[in-house]
Amino acid sequence: MFDNLKKRKLSDGFMQALTYLSSTVSLVTLLLIFGFIISKGSSFLNLNLITENYESQGFVADLYAGYELCDCNASGEYLEDGFYSKKWGIALVDSTDLLGKNVVEVLYVHQDSPFQQLHDKGIGTDPIKMKTDYDIIRIAFESHATALSRHGAAQMIEYLNANDSIREIEFQTAGGGIKGSLITTLYLIGLTLLFALPIGVGAAIYLNEYAKPTKSTKIIRSLIETLTGVPSIIYGLMGLAIFVPLTVSLTNATGGNIISGAMTLAVILLPIIIRTTEESLKVVPDEYRQASLALGASKTQTTFQVVLPSAIPGIMTATLLAIGRIVGESAALVFAIGTAIKDDITLTGKSTSLAVHIWAMMTDEPANIELSATIAIIIVLITILLNIIIKIISTRYLKRKLGSAYE
Amino acid sequence: MEELLKWKEQMRSTKKNRITDKITQHIFLGTALLSASFIFIVVGIIFVQGIRPFVTDNQGLGSVNLWSFLTGDVWLIGATFASNLYSVGFIIVSTLFIALLSLLVSFPIGVLTALFIAKVAPKPLAKILRTVIETLAAIPSIVYGLFGAGIILQVVYDVSALFGYQSKGGNSIISVVLVLALMTIPTITAISEVAIRSVDKTIEHGSLALGASNTQTNFKVVLASAKSGIFTAAILGIGRTLGEATAVSLVAGGRRAGISFDIFDTTSTLTTIMLEGLKETTGLDYDIRFSVGLVLMAVILLTNLLLNSVKKRVGSVHVR
Repeated sequence: MFDNLKKRKLSDGFMQALTYLSSTVSLVTLLLIFGFIISKGSSFLNLNLITENYESQGFVADLYAGYELCDCNASGEYLEDGFYSKKWGIALVDSTDLLGKNVVEVLYVHQDSPFQQLHDKGIGTDPIKMKTDYDIIRIAFESHATALSRHGAAQMIEYLNANDSIREIEFQTAGGGIKGSLITTLYLIGLTLLFALPIGVGAAIYLNEYAKPTKSTKIIRSLIETLTGVPSIIYGLMGLAIFVPLTVSLTNATGGNIISGAMTLAVILLPIIIRTTEESLKVVPDEYRQASLALGASKTQTTFQVVLPSAIPGIMTATLLAIGRIVGESAALVFAIGTAIKDDITLTGKSTSLAVHIWAMMTDEPANIELSATIAIIIVLITILLNIIIKIISTRYLKRKLGSAYE
Repeated sequence: MEELLKWKEQMRSTKKNRITDKITQHIFLGTALLSASFIFIVVGIIFVQGIRPFVTDNQGLGSVNLWSFLTGDVWLIGATFASNLYSVGFIIVSTLFIALLSLLVSFPIGVLTALFIAKVAPKPLAKILRTVIETLAAIPSIVYGLFGAGIILQVVYDVSALFGYQSKGGNSIISVVLVLALMTIPTITAISEVAIRSVDKTIEHGSLALGASNTQTNFKVVLASAKSGIFTAAILGIGRTLGEATAVSLVAGGRRAGISFDIFDTTSTLTTIMLEGLKETTGLDYDIRFSVGLVLMAVILLTNLLLNSVKKRVGSVHVR
């Protein structure tokens, strides 16, 4: 008897330990994912990342005639971090750019520095200004060896100090930013909601307010529900076969574009929007409708002025869920938009979203894990933020509902 | 007289209202029908494009033989090799093999986690874990893929090196399985937890009253009663596994010929092979992707039907 009990205790303990162990897996996974993207990506996470172009822009320039060398004193921190030339009023530092290459970066330009006004030797006619974060590629002198970025910032400053004039300077903007993909993602969110919300909310209103519980209503419902089971890559193929040719024939687009991507995403999101909106319409008490109708309002007025306003938290939840899905979607967009990483974004031009930006960089040789991880941080932050807002909305809404029921 | 006018006015507005009511109803009906019709558009367009390689001569390459497409074990790119020898037989096998393996990993872990959250864990811990699961479920698949490419590939590479294997940078079946398993655990946990918590308390009390311990009740009574819901979780999990594309493509490595069940060997799934021909815009190389899409939809549909029929059988068995 006691032997049996002991045995049972042992096996119970073992089983219980199993559940503890399984639960640890999820916790460890989350910590590992967070740890990975933060450790790899956080070094690039700054404001430059979202304002900077992906392709860096190069310049070749020289000095305007009549420039003046300065004798600019700068505060000490530039001397500590990098190398400062008093004569030229510029501080340089060895660093790596967003794409992971070693570069000589401009740390500081004094306001009296001759580099404040440079003459563009290229097509441009406007004077260009040296700014911090620009990368200097080389500085050529009249009668001195050229300073190259691969020899480092120290040598570049040494050469600058040894000369009173320069023949030409080649530099480039930082590059490796995600401005373009960020703008595309925002466009996608706006356009997709523009397509999907009216149709989705309309369908939800029909199903909840107008449709009678007949067989055909049931069929409509199950057809919409079936959409959720289709994998997103299949939607991508559909977008490629229908929406891309459609936008190409109607606009000046030549291939996948933001509009075709948004249309594809709209189809993916329809079942989510319809279901969430319908849930919120269901909890609107029938008394509201009856009261409105009894006061002489028509069915249309009742729907738009009584039922819909009560369902707004649900529609907002649907919108936030939709945004989360748009930000994270990759497989469908690979086909429906394409994988071209661009800086100048037009609705009908080639571009790509943040999630596909990751995929494009990871399938490229060599894969850029660091910048991918940085984008991943941004995407994960957005999705977590959306989840929190959704939770706040739903708990507030529930409270209000319960509160009014108890009054 | 005035009253008559008023009455007429009222009638007119009622009539107007009735017309607007009809119009709005039809607009709403239209949106519902449009939403419902998309499933036909999706299936239709994939079907029409997908059968093209089998019925046309593909600009001189000759039509693809349907039987060898479905059963063969070589994937030759049409334009490069001037051939029509596309086949996905070996890819179907590896896709199903991977789905099965990843379910073998994610299902027990997911269900046990759900049991832990619903029954075993103290309340604060359960709350934390629920948030963890929700967060994991919200993380987009591409991030799992990135995590796989950054961490799992490295681990698999090192482990396979220990066994004397030279895996291709870690790109392998086991990497795909791990990425997919991690991705499906939150889905399975969330649905199983709902199923476990909706088990009737009286059944539990009955078991406890008969002298079973808490743990025995949880494993032998609660899990058995929640069987149907847990099975649904598995079905959804396998659906996600079969359809996942971008994350898998980052760790699969790509395989063009031959069935391999070696878990350290590179592999292709139906979704990754679709992503490989990305740059093609015309001809057989373009169309064949739709054929693969058609196969993928058929595989998912058949798996769902099979699992649902199993569920019906298993779910109806009563607790013993």
